[in-house]
Amino acid sequence: MIKEEIKKKIRDIVGSENALDSDLERFAYSYDASFIPLLPANKPDLVVRPLSTEEVSKVMAIAYEYEIPVTPRGISSGRTGGSIPIKGGISLSLDRMTKILELDEKNMMVTAEAGVRTFDLYNYCAAKGLFYPPDPASWKFSTIGGNVAENAGGMRAVKYGVTSDYVMGLEVVLADGTLLQTGGKAIKNVTGYNLVGLFTGSEGTLGIITKVLFRLIPMPQKRRTLQIMFRTLDDGCMTIHKMLQSNIVPATAEIMDRTCLEAVARHRKLDLSPDIGASIVVEIDGEDDKALEKQVKQVETVAKACGSIEIRIAQSEQESDELWAIRRGLSAAVAALAPNRVGEDISVPRDSLPEVVRRIRSIAEKYKFTIAVYGHAGDGNLHPSLLCDLSNQEEAKRVHQAVEEIFKAALAVGGTLSGEHGIGTTKQPYITLALGEAGVKTLKAIKQALDPKGILNPGKIW
Amino acid sequence: MHKASDNELLQEAKKNVSQCDRCGTCLPVCPLFGVKDVELSSARGKNAIVRALAEGGIEPTADVLAAVNFCLLCRACVETCPSKNKTDEAMVNVRQYLINQGGGPSVKYKTIGSFLKSRGMVKIAAGALSILRKVGLNSVFPNGMVPEEYTRAHFLAAFAGPAALGQKVPPSGLVVTASTKVAYFKGCGMRMMFPQASAETLKILKTTTQVMVKANVCCGMPHLAHGLRGEFLDLAKRNIRLYEDVEAVVCDCASCGGALKHIAHYFSEDPEWKDRAAAFSRKVMDLTEYLVKVGYTPRQKVDTTITYHDPCHLVRGQNIEKQPRDLLKATGKFVEMKEADTCCAGAGTFHIDYPEISSKIIEKKRRNIERTGAAIVVTGCPGCLIQLTKAAKASGGKFKAMHISQVI
Repeated sequence: MIKEEIKKKIRDIVGSENALDSDLERFAYSYDASFIPLLPANKPDLVVRPLSTEEVSKVMAIAYEYEIPVTPRGISSGRTGGSIPIKGGISLSLDRMTKILELDEKNMMVTAEAGVRTFDLYNYCAAKGLFYPPDPASWKFSTIGGNVAENAGGMRAVKYGVTSDYVMGLEVVLADGTLLQTGGKAIKNVTGYNLVGLFTGSEGTLGIITKVLFRLIPMPQKRRTLQIMFRTLDDGCMTIHKMLQSNIVPATAEIMDRTCLEAVARHRKLDLSPDIGASIVVEIDGEDDKALEKQVKQVETVAKACGSIEIRIAQSEQESDELWAIRRGLSAAVAALAPNRVGEDISVPRDSLPEVVRRIRSIAEKYKFTIAVYGHAGDGNLHPSLLCDLSNQEEAKRVHQAVEEIFKAALAVGGTLSGEHGIGTTKQPYITLALGEAGVKTLKAIKQALDPKGILNPGKIW
Repeated sequence: MHKASDNELLQEAKKNVSQCDRCGTCLPVCPLFGVKDVELSSARGKNAIVRALAEGGIEPTADVLAAVNFCLLCRACVETCPSKNKTDEAMVNVRQYLINQGGGPSVKYKTIGSFLKSRGMVKIAAGALSILRKVGLNSVFPNGMVPEEYTRAHFLAAFAGPAALGQKVPPSGLVVTASTKVAYFKGCGMRMMFPQASAETLKILKTTTQVMVKANVCCGMPHLAHGLRGEFLDLAKRNIRLYEDVEAVVCDCASCGGALKHIAHYFSEDPEWKDRAAAFSRKVMDLTEYLVKVGYTPRQKVDTTITYHDPCHLVRGQNIEKQPRDLLKATGKFVEMKEADTCCAGAGTFHIDYPEISSKIIEKKRRNIERTGAAIVVTGCPGCLIQLTKAAKASGGKFKAMHISQVI
């Protein structure tokens, strides 16, 4: 409970229409896009929607003084419970801070507020021939603050890397309201600890990110999209390996299994040939049509050698957009196949991908679940989706056992728990398994140093 | 007559949106979220309310009613949802549930309901407006423009709230020949607000065939929108009976057309009316749908730039977007505007119940129209036409708003 006089102080800072405290409004800010159940609702005591860094700083100062938990939030499209205010307190929504402050064309860098939508940032830079590559599937509505806090990936990661590869500087409001500026436009910078790297991926537990300085690269001139069908997931994975080993680096290489293809076919009323067991969607980019033609031929050669059944090359931008719309909607289409979907985000060394997929298949058989597999085959980041009904007690138990085995399988082949979704609350129980005692102890020491009162997104990660 | 029990309504609503995984894809396409960006404006927020209501996690309070009323039912969210959750249908079901909880529809909507049920009363309202015209105030209200002074009563009488339309109906499979018996459905909106446009529609139809004009009653959409489901079903039966001797029913109002095409759905569980309702809905066509089918050529070709606004109930309710554009391309210099299919925020009485929000949304529409340089913005729905006329006025005369029948 936040006392009325404290609420009043906060209203004076952000305006009363930006401090929401009715039951229903607070309910609307109690969930994200994870499988954490909607009820019982994890309502914050107050939803605060600042417009500027100054407002964030003042609100944090109050929260620090009165020891009120603060859970930062963009648009709550996260998949792991990171923005759910499980300890109540303030839900600090930065989605009104939507200004792109500066596009520095000479240095190829852009500065933007935390609430800017990723897709808007991409388009803004693209208009000047500059490329901000990270493209999480949620990019039309997710915010860059959230992307940085979770170190979001996206389909282009295989060629272009993840969000952290582009963060050059941050403006962070610390737990007590102090404003920290770190990093900058200098390409090489080793001045003190790498705080930019520390806050990136910190899931709102070390500070509130209010501004981000990103580096950009020149926009590729031409793009082409291909869809390749295979009999098995193995054949698909093999194709991607051979491609990468032959120095054919696709901009994206997304793989999906038959269950996924069926989910899509259901919605779009498509016919799916019975011998297709998996599909890859590949995007290649380059300087000109000649360069693309060469890559297309190389991809076709490798794919055929690995047993591809069918290759479809998108002939127009519209066709290309269609293929990508299917991939971006895949997560939700798969989730629609069952009352509940427990989706994971395991990340393994690339060459272990076929092996971990085999292990997932046997786990599915052992625990009698359908597990839809799709993901970023190019960088070893897979999203196995367990289709189930969590309202069934017995099934819920089996789900947890299956998920634990999936994590163990990922760790056993040299991988980890999360490629891009973060830990939040959904993977907390496995953090020690992944990082070891020393790892978790170090996390806690850093947390203690930066947030001694434990008010920043409490109850997450470990 | 079967009256859906309260719990059934809630469970139906829950089913409508059961595949929502809270991904957030619906947020950027919602016109309301675009001007008031709190979670409750969005389909995701509304789906969460539906689920929590059905599972007992929240109580049916006034706040909840306000939240479910704050929806244009424009279906932009449904179109974009990767799992095609039907938030608009859930809203209609929850509204009915909450109204039943509160002891019945509000007095305001009961009044409108009975007003529109009576053909006689609708005619009187239309008559009052036509008197204004007869006394020479016609020059002040040029064709297609809404009178400067209109009372809230006129609008409440004309339309009562936005209404959801279930599944998108596919285009009509009817084959129209020279011998097809065609009738014109004169909706209340066209009759009362745009009688000139309605007359033009009839003129156009007469060039294609011998058209019957019958004494139809209200299509019932306003009733459905505000918890008067029983009245809707009564009106539907009257219209079904009326058109039983006709083979095609042509409508120049997107909302009426959409409602009439969906009548079959509302009687699908009724053994007595199921087939008659299905036969009726199959006969219904939008004006543009019919004209393209019969190969109609516009009466004149003009050297004017024209743009088009898609009524929600036409583009998303009936899957009709190509036909109006084809007709306009044959009429003048057609130019496509940005966000042509984004709701104009007319939505029945929405623009009266939420004037500020509605103005912000129509502002965006006005800017989009002006950017095309068009002299005329055309649409196929009287509800939209009212909003577009406001936009035309706000533009200081840069463009006019007209019904498609006045242009082709």
